[in-house]
Amino acid sequence: MNEILKLENVSYIYGRGTPFEKLALDNVTVSFERGKITGLIGHTGSGKSTLVNLLNGLYKPTEGRVFLDGEDIWTNPKEIHKIRYRVGLVMQYPEYQLFDETVREDIAFAPKNLGLSEDEIAERVSESAGFVGIGEDVLDKSPFDLSGGQKRRAAIAGIIAMRPEVLVLDEPAAGLDPRGRREILGGLRLYAERSGATVILVSHSMEDMAHYCDNVVVMNSSRVYKSGTTAEIFSDPDALSEVGLDVPAVAKIARELCRRGVNLTGTLYTVEGVRDAIIAYMKGGTA
Amino acid sequence: MISDITLGQFFPGYSPLHKLDPRTKIILAVLAIVTVFLANNTASFVFLTLITLLLISISRISLDVIIKGIKPILFILIFTSLLNIFMTEGRGEPLVDVWIIKIYTEGIVRAIFMALRVTLLIVLTSMLLTYTTSPIALTDGLESLLSPLKRIGVPVHTFAMMMSIALRFIPTLIEETEKIMNAQKSRGADFTSGSLIKRARALVPILIPLIVSSFKRAEELATAMESRCYRGDKNRTKLVKLEYRARDLAFMAVSVLILTAVALLSTLPYSMSFSGLLLDIIFYKI
Repeated sequence: MNEILKLENVSYIYGRGTPFEKLALDNVTVSFERGKITGLIGHTGSGKSTLVNLLNGLYKPTEGRVFLDGEDIWTNPKEIHKIRYRVGLVMQYPEYQLFDETVREDIAFAPKNLGLSEDEIAERVSESAGFVGIGEDVLDKSPFDLSGGQKRRAAIAGIIAMRPEVLVLDEPAAGLDPRGRREILGGLRLYAERSGATVILVSHSMEDMAHYCDNVVVMNSSRVYKSGTTAEIFSDPDALSEVGLDVPAVAKIARELCRRGVNLTGTLYTVEGVRDAIIAYMKGGTA
Repeated sequence: MISDITLGQFFPGYSPLHKLDPRTKIILAVLAIVTVFLANNTASFVFLTLITLLLISISRISLDVIIKGIKPILFILIFTSLLNIFMTEGRGEPLVDVWIIKIYTEGIVRAIFMALRVTLLIVLTSMLLTYTTSPIALTDGLESLLSPLKRIGVPVHTFAMMMSIALRFIPTLIEETEKIMNAQKSRGADFTSGSLIKRARALVPILIPLIVSSFKRAEELATAMESRCYRGDKNRTKLVKLEYRARDLAFMAVSVLILTAVALLSTLPYSMSFSGLLLDIIFYKI
């Protein structure tokens, strides 16, 4: 596997030496494949958000090492901000980071910090606004006048404008309506395809995982429970339910059909995949 | 990390100190302040330091936490100590006499006492109040102690509520600040290098989101309170009724004794006290 990011025996402890000490990650080793969309699932408190903050050097591992392109990102702690340009992190509820007078200015914040020229900045702003579906007319509004969904997009555009090699998003679609989810996640997939960037997506929604991700990493109580391709992960619902997670509803239906003698083959965890499998079955009988 | 700040933070526990009535602790804190200011010689300071250490062991709060809490005021401590050392003029011969710098034994003694006094003040009050009392209990206690003022029209309950809301949101704001800082760091913001003006300007991307979310949070809180029919203290009952127990009386009695002891110790004449003795040993008999 061609890996771009790798965590090696990483542990992270919050509030070390205080009564509130808490082990958030316990000896985690995991790698992320270059150019793919990897989903990160797990219960609240399973260590997902901590892991995400370790990927771009916001947190320093208590133990273990983080590699980007084969290099330990903490070799030179003074240069850690350079890592943050290469691994773009969109935090949970990123709309809270908006601060500038116009959306345009706000998206330009990161490119400005990169020290780019005016033209280059303007180009990146309109490019990243395009990916998340923000129109020209919205760019000159105050970010505080936007709707929740638009704020979210503006904030995501603010990270994409750095053109990161790896884009990490912590629940980018949380609290949005189904249409907003589709638009934001679709935009991200488009971005991944066009730029060749690696995307790491934290989500609670199995449907989103099945639909958008190539690989899935399952976290449970501070450890990596399972990782593999989306098909591998969703083909074993028992393992998932053991840690309190579920497969997509459509995968359950497909499984139940198989159990009752309807032999389906194909991508049995997305609506489209199951649909095609059923059609193939109906046409070809028990193929 | 900012969240490592411990000064003014509550550490939950079940020690006798945690179980005291908050009103008792407020009164004890006032007594402690008076006592610390009464102390003025080695005997009284040694005695008070021992009492403080005893209190720390009763509270079962680790010494690390206490030391961490003093760290933020370390600079002030060192600064005032140096001032005392260099600016105090004593009677006898100066210990050091180089150019315009004259250091007298009195200066050193004063610096030590000064530093000790401030440290004891901070440790004692934070031990009694913030470390072992939850903010809610603290404001309840304060409200109860100040309730006589209601008769002359002081809105005690409102003040107490404002205080408890303010205290309640300190950790939330710290958390929020950290989150926003991390978000802006992820966009390449730099808060630690550059000129003073550049660094001040770097704070704008933190302060604006912080203020915006604070206003939003205040509004949400007000709505939540109103939708639960909050109307101030009229006909309002308490979930936890404050009650004095034997424990409170005991602590009160002991601290009055300590106060008296310190007052007596501090009247010891200089030559008879330990300070005279100690200084003799340190500075003249070597």
